[in-house]
Amino acid sequence: MWQYSEILMDHFMNPRNVGNLDTPDGHSEVGSPQCGDAMYLDINIDDQGNIADIAFKTFGCAGAIASASALTEMSRGLPIEEALKIRNSQIAEFLGGMPPEKFHCSVMGHQALKAAVDDFRAKCEEISTILNDMGVTPILVRPGRVYLKSVADADAVAKVLEEKVERKISVEVK
Amino acid sequence: MNTVYLDNAATTRMAPEVLEAMLPFLKEQFGNPSSFHSFGSSQMEAIEKARGQVARLLGAKCEEIFFTSGGTESDNQALRGAVKIDPARKGIVTSAVEHPAVLETAKALQEDGCTLAIAEVNRNGELDLENLRELVNQQTAIVSIMAANNETGVVMPLKEAAEVAHKAGALFHTDAVQMVGKSPIDVHALDIDILSLSAHKLHGPKGVGAIYIRKGIKLPPILTGGHQEKGVRSGTYNAPGIVGLGKAAELALTHLKDTVASEQSLRETFEKRVLASCPGSFIVADNASHRLPGTVTVIFRGIESEAVLTLLDMQGIYASSGSACSTGSKNPSHVLYAMGVDYTLANSALRFSLSRYTTEEEIDRTVELLSKVVERLRRISPYIE
Repeated sequence: MWQYSEILMDHFMNPRNVGNLDTPDGHSEVGSPQCGDAMYLDINIDDQGNIADIAFKTFGCAGAIASASALTEMSRGLPIEEALKIRNSQIAEFLGGMPPEKFHCSVMGHQALKAAVDDFRAKCEEISTILNDMGVTPILVRPGRVYLKSVADADAVAKVLEEKVERKISVEVK
Repeated sequence: MNTVYLDNAATTRMAPEVLEAMLPFLKEQFGNPSSFHSFGSSQMEAIEKARGQVARLLGAKCEEIFFTSGGTESDNQALRGAVKIDPARKGIVTSAVEHPAVLETAKALQEDGCTLAIAEVNRNGELDLENLRELVNQQTAIVSIMAANNETGVVMPLKEAAEVAHKAGALFHTDAVQMVGKSPIDVHALDIDILSLSAHKLHGPKGVGAIYIRKGIKLPPILTGGHQEKGVRSGTYNAPGIVGLGKAAELALTHLKDTVASEQSLRETFEKRVLASCPGSFIVADNASHRLPGTVTVIFRGIESEAVLTLLDMQGIYASSGSACSTGSKNPSHVLYAMGVDYTLANSALRFSLSRYTTEEEIDRTVELLSKVVERLRRISPYIE
């Protein structure tokens, strides 16, 4: 048995933010070939570029589950770039300490977060490219919503996006 | 908190009778059995009594039993000794699912110039006898096949394997650490040349074991020194340990029939109830033709074994897994790997091993908690929809 802190055990027993998001802006599935652990992560990004919602599922030991839970708690509300900067040592600190042998457990959370952000960015990029081809300049692009200037024809843009992206995307004119 | 100990394949609690038998040799009877004076030499009687007790459990003769420090030492002597007997025979043949005491020793000897061949097992963890036949030849010094596997409980075909070895003129050794005291074993009926056993697996003390060497075989020692045990194993007699091993062997023999029956029945109850109450679970080597009565490995699909162990541990229930998650690398069990069990499934495997002290109430409590723990972890699992 490892010497786990009370906080870590609490995150293992009652992990925060477990599950899936209905229509995530970013989704990732990563695995650690060294230890066989696996993690799914969903994120939603708000208009300001902060992580508005986050949910995970993990196959792993108590250390892996607790560090995934901690990472989601620490990331929620942070700008993407800030969340990506969270270090293993900060996760360990957040959990009230961690056996050094278990530090590697939190690596998977980073990989999952980075992959989910990559997925989010790729989805945004795809939409931006389509809009660019149409000659439309958006105010804001998210995987599930697009804000346009008042001059644009929202219905026409929405139709094209839905056809090309094969996903429900709301188009609003601001 | 009442604890439930289901890790008897790792080690067992010492029987109270064993401790009683040992105590005089830890207290007033401290003399060296090899001494001339009667204070020491009188202890040889107790040591010879223990030798008889161990011999009876194995169906061996007294002069075929030599005391060692345990299973690892006995395995080492079997392999290291065997390759020294005949310069024309430097081959070791063993199986893929052996205990590290055999596998690592065989690999070390390979580095020293011996040849090593490893026989496969099938999906049920049973030795592939055809493969063994292909690997054994006139250069083979020793064939070493475990009596029963420590993870799956699968019992190996010792008589058949011994026949393969003997046809080629090789010695046959079995690491019977998991078998002795838990299931009947008769060295002469099975035609075994060398056998390793350990006291602490049969409710005896730690740090003592024995090696059975069939009469007529001159197995070179690995420990040289004061010529104790007819020079087969030097070192001052561990009198309390040896007496403890003897008593444990005697008790094991007395209880053997009941132990087999009760462990078998409790294990079957456990398996049935786990399968019924834990979705996604299955028994490893379920279709093997012969398994130990009290050892079972269960795979809980979609959840990681160490997480389960941690949650069980918190409630005082102690089991084990083939792998530990530490320092960035988890090596799933080589036994499950050899059986072709998928990597993720191997990381979901837990072993439960019973003893003659295990009660039905303990099994009930374990199953009850397991179903809760499994449900809890399945909710977090990415592998479960």
